[in-house]
Amino acid sequence: QAEVEETLKRIQTHKGVIGTIVVNAEGIPIRTTLDNSTTVQYAGLLHQLTMKARSTVRDIDPQNDLTFLRIRSKKHEIMVAPDKEYMLIVIQNPSE
Amino acid sequence: MSIPTAKLKKPTLKVTPSSRAMNISTSGILRLNRSATYARSINASVSRKSFCLAADSKILEKSSVQTPKHTIQVLDENGKDVTPRPVYQPDPAAVQSKHSKIFASDTSGGTMSDFYSTTYQTTTNASFAGAFTRSLFGSGSVSIGSQSIMESMSEEIEDPSSKRDNSISLSDVQVKREEVKELIQEEMLDDMVDLYLVESDTLCLLDMPAISVSVDSMEAESVKERNSRYTELCKNRTGNDKYMGRSMQTFNGASKTKEVQSEAITMADAATIANNWDMYDSFCSAGQGEVDLSTDTDKASIAEMIHQNHGPTRTMERTMSVISSSTIVSSSSSRMEMEPFVVPSESKPDPELILQSEEFQQHLFVMERIILENIYQPKLAAYRQLPTLEDPDSMPKAVPMVVSRREESSLDEEGPPTPALERLWSFSCELTTGRNVSSMAWNKRNPDLLAVGYGQFAFKDQKPGLVCCWSLKNPSWPERIFTCQSGVTALDFSASSASMLAVGMHDGTIATYNVQSREKTPVIDSSDCVHKHTSPVWQVRWINHERALSGEDKGEALISVSADGRISKWFLRKGLDCIDLMKLKRTRNDRFKRQVGEKERKSEALISRQAPGLCFDFHPTDSNIYLAGTEEGHIHKCSCSYNEQFLETYQAHKGPLYRITWSPFCSDVFLSCSSDWTIQLWRQDLFTPVLGFMSTQRAVYDVMWSPKWATVFGAVNEGRMEIWDLGASILDPTIVNPASPGVKLTSLLFATETDCVLVGDSDGQVSVYQLKNFTAGEGTQVGTLEDIIGSTLASQL
Repeated sequence: QAEVEETLKRIQTHKGVIGTIVVNAEGIPIRTTLDNSTTVQYAGLLHQLTMKARSTVRDIDPQNDLTFLRIRSKKHEIMVAPDKEYMLIVIQNPSE
Repeated sequence: MSIPTAKLKKPTLKVTPSSRAMNISTSGILRLNRSATYARSINASVSRKSFCLAADSKILEKSSVQTPKHTIQVLDENGKDVTPRPVYQPDPAAVQSKHSKIFASDTSGGTMSDFYSTTYQTTTNASFAGAFTRSLFGSGSVSIGSQSIMESMSEEIEDPSSKRDNSISLSDVQVKREEVKELIQEEMLDDMVDLYLVESDTLCLLDMPAISVSVDSMEAESVKERNSRYTELCKNRTGNDKYMGRSMQTFNGASKTKEVQSEAITMADAATIANNWDMYDSFCSAGQGEVDLSTDTDKASIAEMIHQNHGPTRTMERTMSVISSSTIVSSSSSRMEMEPFVVPSESKPDPELILQSEEFQQHLFVMERIILENIYQPKLAAYRQLPTLEDPDSMPKAVPMVVSRREESSLDEEGPPTPALERLWSFSCELTTGRNVSSMAWNKRNPDLLAVGYGQFAFKDQKPGLVCCWSLKNPSWPERIFTCQSGVTALDFSASSASMLAVGMHDGTIATYNVQSREKTPVIDSSDCVHKHTSPVWQVRWINHERALSGEDKGEALISVSADGRISKWFLRKGLDCIDLMKLKRTRNDRFKRQVGEKERKSEALISRQAPGLCFDFHPTDSNIYLAGTEEGHIHKCSCSYNEQFLETYQAHKGPLYRITWSPFCSDVFLSCSSDWTIQLWRQDLFTPVLGFMSTQRAVYDVMWSPKWATVFGAVNEGRMEIWDLGASILDPTIVNPASPGVKLTSLLFATETDCVLVGDSDGQVSVYQLKNFTAGEGTQVGTLEDIIGSTLASQL
């Protein structure tokens, strides 16, 4: 739907957003605003981290589940919305 | 062939105690006989050859097999025939006869040799079969009775006598001769039967002659002699020509190496970690499976799942791990949803489908909010009066510390900081630019939700209106967008059903929207109503009537005022319908005090008898009383019980009234603002305003009491926004915030829980300002206001 495209476009135009990536469960990018190598790198690394995070959350309480993951680093913030079929990644530099 | 046994008819043997010689001789005879006995046909004439070896001598025979029985007669020194009688003397005629006959002492055993030969044959056969082959013999029928064979032939050495009775039946015997079964007759049963147990001959199986001889024995001498001869021989051996040493070499077999190589055994490591959630998932899915499906389908699906190598269900993966050792694949696909035993399809979801899916949209939604939160965090925190988090990584402002200290000190010198407005952010997007903000309303239940209506006030340049529902969490894009066919002029959220939004439009239509749904169309529309408004609806309000009015149901009702001079109450009865609460009639604008109920009598030519109503406000506590403001500048106090007459009329304004608001703290006081540049403060019982405020020569579009402070209200006129604090000054506004050039401010809204003010302008922006350093205490506010009023009145008198 056009709404989804619009939202994606809007996200990209927000202040400080460096890139938006949507990958499917195998790590193949569906939508990305970064170059391919960076996309694949981000997707691969974040996939593993998300797995680990989810495992941690569920180990503590199996009825719980991971819904969102934010990593704040010195330079920017990586936000990951994981799902069973895809992963939405946004990199933002909020202090721009 | 002649049977040399004939010669051995009666060999006379001298049996001596030392039977060694005899042995040798016997063996010689044995040898002869051996050959003979192998012959099948034995001459029956060689009958009655009874022999036996000397039973009482220790005769070690070479082999039991080769021990034929010869007819040896043994004579002792006296020449007496002490030939041991044979144990068994078969009587061919009476083979089947009684046992007694067998052991009869008569040595007239008929065809002994025959028998022996046959038995020997059988023995041979048996012996070839095995040494202890009793069983073979036992297979035959016991019809022969308990005949015992020459046990010495086939018997073991040790038990010569005991097994007599257990005769080995000679089935082969029957081959040789016909046996005549003698019928057991009655009288035979009573006969005495004598049984004799005799020791049989000793069989020799192994003969190991001793190599040592006792000194006392007879042979000692000869042995000694022989030994000494041997030692001498050994001495003489060396150098003796007779003896030569010789060596031999054995051949070593040629060795051959042979190699075999097998295929490399491929090994694969498989590991799994049983996590907490892993076990929980398996447990849950197993439990679900049992409940939902039968066991057959369970097994079938499990079997199917084992063969699936890539499946999207977590359940499947967990059962795989349970059944077969799973690899990291299972842990990586662990984030699958729980689908109890649904056979997963191998097809990967289409990327486009992913994008269209609900979860993706939801995630996008959340993500956007988070991004915006990152951007707006300080502003939002200020809005909510939370301490703002400073970004530790942001670059510090390039202001040297010294200067700031000086600034602070200078500020301190001035005294308490002045109240000011700080602009936090503004709600706007490209949809709204260029539109005039006409009204704003907070949602009654969710104080973060704001509805803004966009529509032109003036009659000209009308364009389709817009209603946007903004959320505080996303100042850059509205949550809901509703387009209306004409400009929106009034908005209000319902209090009872918090998702209902009533919209009044420039063409008189009233519509209600449900903001929860994503539909773009109104829930209900008043365009079909007969009594609908024909002029712009300037205000709508949901009013909660506590007291039921003459048969109508209690609850919330939608009240609207429009320029056609009617105040209508809308309800749902087979569609939206309204009844008129009041018709605003024109009253003459003159200086005379008007009595209640006096009607107009002047016969002035009027365009219409109705006065356009512009605003109204219900009393905060008594929902029966309301004030209505008209275009003439009159304020009418009305009651819902009377729909023909006004209760009161307040006249002071010279221009159309744009807003009337009761004070939320003092129930007698209300404010009104109009296009005659003034704001008037009224008390309910006085027909002249108590206080009037004028700051600029511009029409005041909106005024609102602050929900927090009783003496504070905000007003917005064309050029600026003002915050008045009556406790501080009644002549001048406390805070003034000019508008950007070219933009007219049109509406004002206080935020209910925080110190923020929202200002809408003609460019489609709704700016959020925070009141800073506003120190107006709350406790004595009402008192202060009343004091002010009182003092003012007193001063007027």
